[in-house]
Amino acid sequence: MADAQQIEAELLGFVRREVFAPTVELTPETDLVAAGFDSMSLVRVLLFIETTYGMWIPEKEITAETLRNLRSLAAAVCRLLHER
Amino acid sequence: MHLTGSLTVSYPASFCAVCLGVMNLIELLQNTADQCPQKAALIDGTEEISYTGLLDQVSELAAQLQELGARPGIRVGLWLPNSILYVALTFALWKIGAVVVPVPEECSEEEIEEILRSMELQGLVSRSPRPGEESAKISERPECYFARIKQAWQADNHGLNLAFIRFTSGTTSARKGVALCHETIRDRVMAANRALGITQEDTVMWCLPMSHHFLITIVLYLAHGATTVLARHVVARSFLEATNRHQGTVLYAAPFHYSLLARDASDVALPSVRLAVSTTCALPQDVAEDFRERFKLPLAQGLGIIELGLVALNTGDAAVAKWDSVGRPLCGFQVTILNADEHGRGEVAVRGPGFLDAYVAPWIPREQLLKEGWFVTGDIGHIDAEGYLILAGRKTAVINLAGRKVFPEEIESVLNRHPDVRESRVYGRVHPHLGEVVEAEIVLERAEASLDSLREFCRTHLASFKVPTRLQAVSSLPRTPVTGKIRREAAVA
Repeated sequence: MADAQQIEAELLGFVRREVFAPTVELTPETDLVAAGFDSMSLVRVLLFIETTYGMWIPEKEITAETLRNLRSLAAAVCRLLHER
Repeated sequence: MHLTGSLTVSYPASFCAVCLGVMNLIELLQNTADQCPQKAALIDGTEEISYTGLLDQVSELAAQLQELGARPGIRVGLWLPNSILYVALTFALWKIGAVVVPVPEECSEEEIEEILRSMELQGLVSRSPRPGEESAKISERPECYFARIKQAWQADNHGLNLAFIRFTSGTTSARKGVALCHETIRDRVMAANRALGITQEDTVMWCLPMSHHFLITIVLYLAHGATTVLARHVVARSFLEATNRHQGTVLYAAPFHYSLLARDASDVALPSVRLAVSTTCALPQDVAEDFRERFKLPLAQGLGIIELGLVALNTGDAAVAKWDSVGRPLCGFQVTILNADEHGRGEVAVRGPGFLDAYVAPWIPREQLLKEGWFVTGDIGHIDAEGYLILAGRKTAVINLAGRKVFPEEIESVLNRHPDVRESRVYGRVHPHLGEVVEAEIVLERAEASLDSLREFCRTHLASFKVPTRLQAVSSLPRTPVTGKIRREAAVA
């Protein structure tokens, strides 16, 4: 099963490639909302997680804490995968 | 059997031509500004603009655009994200008699080029100067430019008082546009508000892209003196808190947004909200039930059609008892079922006010689009004993991904250009959380072709949200038995 570090790298690759403009500097600690992450970005990330890890993040988990940055999102994905 | 809203209004087919030059949608905004000049028209974060302020900004922008060469009748693409400026520019273009063509902000450069050509745009408003064209800055914050498109497009509006072209996609992969006159939009707005009942007392919490939703929403709210809050919140909790801070009374969003709200784990309530409208695609039952349970408020589901506006809306107790219905036809609309089977299920056809004036590219006038006076919507459904319309599926599917419209044909036209693709079929698969997602079936020219390279090809040529979530190689595509056309329904899982 993927670990948090691997998930973080995969999420970072996806978000860099498909969500933000190439000019946006993005690290695992970047504040997503401040960088322009919107509701459509969320849809695309949720779909990426569903197709890559076979799991839909339950809506109650989609909180400001989870979406603070890609590190917190990867940690949530990892935890939810282990809880299954 | 057909059903009629309780009030029938007669609209002669030549209505627009008769009124040519008489009506302009700016009058709706002026009327509101006369009635409640200091009331907030729009709020975006810490920025707030009154109706008078908005009208002043519209006048300034209109003068600038005229100075830069914008003239009555020209078609101008509006390629901007949601903002107060977006609204002001739309009305400014209307004020000078130009035709607004909204362009989804996520469009790729290649799509923009194609839209400029097919919609015969003579101007483009966007966030950056247009390479190779004469561009002038018209707003500092947010930064925004007007470009005159040099190519000599000879757009012919056929003498109509056009205000808006919303492009869609044709059955032959060619892009086509739905053209609406000022009067037609006014009729739509007035017809829709008989059901929505928007007044100066309302504050609308807005979370959909304006490039996809504008007329029977933003224009309607402004015409009736409501305040619209551009809610950019990503997580449910902050949206709920913002709604309460602004004393929001109306929510207008896609099932995806309601799904997030319904599962919010806090105990924040929505005491000020009187109406929550779910639009764009079928509302999943669990979302409808969870939202009602969580907020003690039913979700109103409606039937909105690009060609007609808001045709039906299911509100109040009926939205609880018949959660899967889009409601009864609104006043002035009639709905009938054509070619019904033994269960009464068949093609949904509609007539009523605000019907489009023409298709653009190629130009097909309103009169030629009706079948014995009815517009066949492409939806399949039935009308129950109490007159409620229940949709069962679509024959010609616009895919709705969390509030954004995706036209299968334009994705197929990109896929079919790839040398490894013999043919393709794009459809919306019902998704329990998002409404629908885009998927594709491909008949490959050679078995060893890579689907990953096809995905990459889509990313290069399409707005990212249109790239199919799933690509599947198949040996043949399902076709309708009589015409041999590719079937649009989602594949059976």
